[in-house]
Amino acid sequence: MATREAGKKMIMLKSPDGMEFEVEEAVAMESQTIRKMIEDDCADTAILIPNINSKILSRVIEYCNKHVPTTGATGAAASDTVAPAALAEDLKIWDAEFIKVNRATRFDLIQAASYLNIKGLLDLTSQTTIDTISDNSLEEIRSFLSTKNDYLPEEEQTIRRENQWAFQ
Amino acid sequence: MVEAAPPPLHRGLPDDFAIWEILVRLPPKSFLRCRAVCRAWRSATTARDFLLAHHARQPALPLIYGLGRDIESLDIIPFDHRVGVATADDRLLSVARIGGPYVRPCISCDGLQVLYIGVDQLSIVNPATRQCARLRGFTVTDTHRPVGMYPHSLSGEYRILLAPHDPDDSYQLYTLGSSQPPRQIDIDGPVVEELSPFTLLLFHHTLQWCADNVITVFDTIAESFGEMLAPHGTDQFVMDEIYGGVLFEVDAMLGMFSLNAEFTSIGIWAMHNYESRVWAFKYRVELPLAELTVQFGDFKPYCCRVPSSWDGDVSMLLQFGDWLLQLDMDGKVVASLRRHKGLLPTQHRLKQTLVQHSFFTALEGYVVNASPFM
Repeated sequence: MATREAGKKMIMLKSPDGMEFEVEEAVAMESQTIRKMIEDDCADTAILIPNINSKILSRVIEYCNKHVPTTGATGAAASDTVAPAALAEDLKIWDAEFIKVNRATRFDLIQAASYLNIKGLLDLTSQTTIDTISDNSLEEIRSFLSTKNDYLPEEEQTIRRENQWAFQ
Repeated sequence: MVEAAPPPLHRGLPDDFAIWEILVRLPPKSFLRCRAVCRAWRSATTARDFLLAHHARQPALPLIYGLGRDIESLDIIPFDHRVGVATADDRLLSVARIGGPYVRPCISCDGLQVLYIGVDQLSIVNPATRQCARLRGFTVTDTHRPVGMYPHSLSGEYRILLAPHDPDDSYQLYTLGSSQPPRQIDIDGPVVEELSPFTLLLFHHTLQWCADNVITVFDTIAESFGEMLAPHGTDQFVMDEIYGGVLFEVDAMLGMFSLNAEFTSIGIWAMHNYESRVWAFKYRVELPLAELTVQFGDFKPYCCRVPSSWDGDVSMLLQFGDWLLQLDMDGKVVASLRRHKGLLPTQHRLKQTLVQHSFFTALEGYVVNASPFM
């Protein structure tokens, strides 16, 4: 559990499997979905995050903690001493480490980032999937995303013909 | 294999997420291939709302034309100017090659290209949908020529601004797909004798260009012209009589690039608040002209471009001999690009679109994925 610091408003996030995470409001507000709940006063003491299990939620919080802008009372000192370029470089390295997860976790993170509307996390988690789809054959794409081919062979041929130049 | 160690229990990505988070971000070519993956993907990705969302997510990349030998082909190249992200070859990857006699670029907007194919014959091309049709609503005349194209924000129509050759004539506007001839606008509009359509900047709802220390602003909503002063002090920098300074957009701000008379330094300005019309001097970049000339060839000052990016990066493209050099804000060459048939950089951005525009089918000589596509 995070320690309560003076002057910092804390928010409780609950996962459907019963875990509770106490996070700074600023960190939670990296999620546009949660930001809206807080701004609309729909979030008194605790917010239940449906569909996202505690394992994935803790990783999402980890990401938000790292990416929350350091403009607070304690953050100002840090950004004074570290050049923005170095800070951005540090974040990039951290992101690259963060995304070294298996495919199922990455898909879970995409869904969580989409539901919670966290643009940076969504960009990060979807990019590897986008690269895979761009570079591979239809069969490989289907296997990668566990999507079933429900076309009849002749139907697939027709669609390939319609978009012939894309297959060249 | 797509991944070294797949997890034992293979859960996929639900269709909704695959479609609205992944497919929506794919470049058009990969995206079209994905329609053959399964039925659900195809039906979702042919809907207009999806195609509009896809267009909105496409990066607006600096547009470079690849010129063909003997003016018989033209490559449309979204320039990936992020150094180190793509390999040198990938950064100049053509999305479409157009063939035909005397084919050359005219104007462009979003993902649409108006090209000259044949003498005085204009065609409109969408490289992403491989659609092409002739523009017969107006012909290139002795009196007017197209200088800019923009989406009209109220009607959603694409409109073309035609500049008069004769200073006593007025500007004209033509609506794509319209059966009406071009109509005259703003009788008192300025006449710029030599205006390069490739430096014209579409900024918010205006078209802007710079010549002789004055920026001409065409308001596409009011359909009227206005003027704005170039940054104070740009007279120390060369305002080429013909091409002026180069306007660009970065982070939704207006920016300006100008060379000094000796071509040894470059000034960069930005207008932080467009309403205030106040320019702020941002950088002075020293240009190692002598060294670069020895290494690459003669400098062509009329061909400078500033490909700023959607993520806030600014770099400069300068032409030396056959080479297009990309310089950073320290004046350092970060990439040297060359194609044996020549490259024509523009200030336009290519934001590819698979949205079906209704005007295409109404035009003469409409084809899909056929000549002039090569």
